[in-house]
Amino acid sequence: MPRSLWNGTIAFGMVRVPVKLYSATESKAVRFRERHSVDGAAIEHRRVCVQEGKEIPYGETVKGFEVSSGSYVTLSREEIATADGPGAHMIEIEHFAQRTEIDPVFYERAYRLGPGKLGDDSYLLLHAALKRSDRVGIGRFVFHNKAHLVALRALDEVIALHTMRFADELVPAGDLDIPTPQRKPSKLEVSAAQALVEQLSSSFRPDEYEDTYREALLELIERKSRGETIAAPEPVQIAPEDDLLEALRASLAGKGKASGPPSSPRGKAPSSRAKAKKPKPAPGQSGAPKKVAPGSSRSSSSSGSRRSAKPAGSSR
Amino acid sequence: MARPLWSGSLSFGLVNVPVALFSATRDRDVHFQLLHAPDCSPIETRRVCAAEEKPVPWPEIARGYELEDGEWVLLTDEDLQAAAPRQSRTIDIERFVEVAEIDPVYFDRSYLLVPPDEGAARAYALLSETMRDSHRAALGRFVMRAKERLVAIRVRDGALTLTTMLFGDEVRSAAEIAAEIDGAKPTREQVESAVAVIEELGVEFDPTLYRDEHRAHLKRIIKRKQQGKKIAAAPVAATAAEPQVTSAPDLMGALEESLARIRGETAAGTSKTGKNSRPAKKAPPKKKAPKTTQRA
Repeated sequence: MPRSLWNGTIAFGMVRVPVKLYSATESKAVRFRERHSVDGAAIEHRRVCVQEGKEIPYGETVKGFEVSSGSYVTLSREEIATADGPGAHMIEIEHFAQRTEIDPVFYERAYRLGPGKLGDDSYLLLHAALKRSDRVGIGRFVFHNKAHLVALRALDEVIALHTMRFADELVPAGDLDIPTPQRKPSKLEVSAAQALVEQLSSSFRPDEYEDTYREALLELIERKSRGETIAAPEPVQIAPEDDLLEALRASLAGKGKASGPPSSPRGKAPSSRAKAKKPKPAPGQSGAPKKVAPGSSRSSSSSGSRRSAKPAGSSR
Repeated sequence: MARPLWSGSLSFGLVNVPVALFSATRDRDVHFQLLHAPDCSPIETRRVCAAEEKPVPWPEIARGYELEDGEWVLLTDEDLQAAAPRQSRTIDIERFVEVAEIDPVYFDRSYLLVPPDEGAARAYALLSETMRDSHRAALGRFVMRAKERLVAIRVRDGALTLTTMLFGDEVRSAAEIAAEIDGAKPTREQVESAVAVIEELGVEFDPTLYRDEHRAHLKRIIKRKQQGKKIAAAPVAATAAEPQVTSAPDLMGALEESLARIRGETAAGTSKTGKNSRPAKKAPPKKKAPKTTQRA
């Protein structure tokens, strides 16, 4: 049984359903750690006091909110927790909506709920009612000092919980400048495009999609580990078509892509890295350059924090 | 305009639509800075080379991948692109599916796609007009930040909106959780009453009904603290982690009480559902008069 992330109660009218929260997802992306390109050594993240220039243990830190430049209001973790209110342990279902009314932009992370202590009967009742009504319960809950809008629904034999974004967390499309074309697409072009949409329509089968890049990346890592040099990729040239209608008609006629990979769905090609070295579960074991200092493992980095330090650079 | 997070093109058949990608969400959280408790001076995180014990400037940071023998392979941004040069620059639309067919468990993050210049505006307008009134999403994939992403693209508020999705093997099975459930199957009467409660609370989803009160509360706490006021500890009820439970014998009573309360509120014109409330259309006919059972 996986470990639960949160214990609490769902308030469904006057019915109280104790529940446990479990993660529904796990990333399978290839994980990287930061290394020093000069000597290949590990990179450690250290908390340093700007004023004294020395390393600070976590116990000596406090959270501050910057009210004006350089001026902070400090709050203890207990004081911050007072904002949690009852939502820290209770999800009150406020409304029930249709799932199809919720746009995908609202969804954040997916979890599953299991019954908490003595909650099996009320859990089964809520599950049965959600399933029968085909509706989604909408409520709010507080997790890790942050409130989330949540959607609760019956999914197979369990209740699924989705955290969602609040309306003001969405960027209105109007905030971005979308240039209007000088010449609008003609009816002929739109209908040719619609025909192409029809031609490419099918039902969604999640099993048909595999992360092919994960495999390609592991293969490349293997080549590099053998000392091969990796050639820089040819720049991919993309120019907008002048003749949209011609391109649509050629697409409809099945002329295929100009320079595409084999089209979808990708078959399960036998993996060519069957003999590749397998990744080790945890870094910093024997043979690895110096171990990360205790206590700093949380801040030692994957590609995630590389992003936060350099937002737009890594993708180009 | 802000810098795009990614730029490339959408390929729809033989039509290429150049696009720039921006986040569709914005961070409204109250952020705290870590301070050194005695002197309240800011703490910054420094990257230090473990071998040399000295700070490392950003350009010298490489991505490392550890092999099973403990050796590290260092990769550059170019290496990452070389693994899939095409997917790093194009989103190939592979097919179109009904949006409702995609289980929300797959949805991850959302972005807005914008034509980078006027030259791209026409192809962009063609695709958005074609998809505007359909309930379909274009499925494709591309590589951003060293990860391939399956994506669903559709039109929202006049803009092509891209939502990244998880791959099938990134979704965990719920079988283990389901196997542990050991309760009594609810009775028909209980389910009907519970569905009646759901129908009473039924609304059309309106995201503007819900505000992040936690965020507002946190801002008030900061303000009070700034004024030198004390922050009272959380009330016991909020800190007690002991979950509450309605046990099986009380379920029916609790459901009936719920219905009585909701209907009472609706009748009194103080509906919680506000302007969006609508009468339950399919509420099952009641078999007996709603009765508030008094539970000791």
